[in-house]
Amino acid sequence: MQFWQSTGDLPKYFARAAARYDRIPGHMYAIEVEGLKKVFGNVEAVAGIDLIVSEGEMFGFLGPNGAGKSTTTKILTTLLRPTAGTARVAGFDIVTHPHEVRLSIGVALQEAGLDTLATGREMLVLLARLQGLRGGQPHKRAAAMLDLVGLSDAADRRLGTYSGGMRRRLDLAGALIHGPKLLFLDEPTTGLDPASRHAIWEEVARLNREEGITVFLTTQYLEEADRLAERVAIIDHGRIVALGSPTELKSEIAADILTLAVPEESMDVAKEALTRLPGLKEIQSDTKELTLFVTGGSSAIASAVRLLHEVDVTVGSVKLSSPTLDEVFLRATGSRLEGAEQQQAETDGKKRGRKEAS
Amino acid sequence: MSVALAPHARTYRRETEFFRATYYVAMREIRNLIRTPAAFIPSFFIPLFFFFVQSGSLQRLAERSGQVTDYKAFVLPVAILFSVSNEGAGFNMVTDIERGYFDKLMLCPANRLAVLIGTVGANFAGVLFRSLIVTAIALATGLHFATGIAGILPMVFLASLWGLVFAGIAMAVAIKTANAQAVQGSIVFLFPLLFLTTSFAPREAMTGWLKVAVGYNPITYILEGMRSFSAYGFDATRIAKGVLAVLIMAPITMGLSIAALRGRLK
Repeated sequence: MQFWQSTGDLPKYFARAAARYDRIPGHMYAIEVEGLKKVFGNVEAVAGIDLIVSEGEMFGFLGPNGAGKSTTTKILTTLLRPTAGTARVAGFDIVTHPHEVRLSIGVALQEAGLDTLATGREMLVLLARLQGLRGGQPHKRAAAMLDLVGLSDAADRRLGTYSGGMRRRLDLAGALIHGPKLLFLDEPTTGLDPASRHAIWEEVARLNREEGITVFLTTQYLEEADRLAERVAIIDHGRIVALGSPTELKSEIAADILTLAVPEESMDVAKEALTRLPGLKEIQSDTKELTLFVTGGSSAIASAVRLLHEVDVTVGSVKLSSPTLDEVFLRATGSRLEGAEQQQAETDGKKRGRKEAS
Repeated sequence: MSVALAPHARTYRRETEFFRATYYVAMREIRNLIRTPAAFIPSFFIPLFFFFVQSGSLQRLAERSGQVTDYKAFVLPVAILFSVSNEGAGFNMVTDIERGYFDKLMLCPANRLAVLIGTVGANFAGVLFRSLIVTAIALATGLHFATGIAGILPMVFLASLWGLVFAGIAMAVAIKTANAQAVQGSIVFLFPLLFLTTSFAPREAMTGWLKVAVGYNPITYILEGMRSFSAYGFDATRIAKGVLAVLIMAPITMGLSIAALRGRLK
């Protein structure tokens, strides 16, 4: 049985999420979206989403490939027109005032979008000029942005010679060249090695913290959203299925994750014994491990070990962890985010013990 | 390290920014053209090959017929039309789209037509330069230019305007499909039109369906306009027809590009 099936009071869950869409009168929002839809032929890529992002907020937009993340970003950045619904970005309607929207935002799309025949400096100077900066400003800004992303030494090298991480950093510099107050980052670290990914995270966090830039961060990395975003929206099949701060979303699961390694031949006995565990909400098993969703945290460890001892089952290892956005995603969509385990393993340096629920 | 961001509020004059953006996009295209000589230099070979093979094999025969006085001057405009009829602008656009650079340009606040016009403008400068080089080499081989040195620039200018028409089609296909093979396919479709003209023989020497088809092909008039400078001597009527053909076709192909751009951003 899936976790969300046993615990999920989904209508209530969505109602709580929907309540967060309520606007506060007089409050300034960087992004306001209502009923946004995008249809390509017979495919509904974005199926009517509502969203608000406050000024200065770091907002995470999380979902698997094909969920509608990039399409939503393209609509909000005026690269696509919505089929239905409205959206205001930086106070301007994206359909009636796209020019003003583009003046107000910086965008780094999924593809770094670089001119490989240009040098880093040349590309930034061109972008600055196209943003309307004049005189010596484009060169000054380009130098400052190259410094900001640590590419001053490579400034006069052609972009064809840049590594993936350098290209992403330059793309970020390009998005910032005109000093936008709102930054759209569409999967800024996809394809990067962990070190480059962390460097981008630190820079984005600093821009938000120190420069007060609102960040709309699209990502398929759970850890990226968890670590950076103040609030996260999870999109699946074009719909927002969960919205809130990572802590809130995880707390809605209202359980800790207890993982026990037991011998394969004792699995059924152990499972039966653990049904008597106080605070147990859900139990999942595979050939080597039992995964328990429990309340009570560390006190559950002793109880679980005692119950297994009573039925002569040896416990190989015990791991107690807090719910991650992966569990939130599972609960909201009924499936895990593709590659979530690999992402976590990459970051932790070891594989998580838990496996996908059967 | 922290670098203070530029003040967000600034003066942005949309009207003048369009021209500035067009200029900067064009300069970027020209810079890239210069930086890829391996892509640029081969575009000289086909027209020069055509010029030398065609004039070498048919010059004596054509001049003996009495309908052409200087076959080299007659065939030079054909070589130049081959030179300017290339899909370079379309290929560059496909590359930009594939790399995501096109979207980056579309995200700039300037009118998006500036990107199209800047690209086309750079293509115009490129074909103008290429036409001048081809003409200079032809002159060096003993070609007698009917209207003298003063006629060279107007002739290559007319040819380059046709290059604009051609670029418009290539860019429309590029923007619509983002596929290099489709761009190449558009050239395959158009290339026969270059032959369905007075490219090899004067119209008076043609008969039957070919003569009729040549009369309906606008490229014929562009070619004849160019020959007014190179072979026939200044002929206002022929030149006007050539210019008119470009003025009719350019808005159509550029309109296709603009429609493709709008479609892409829908």
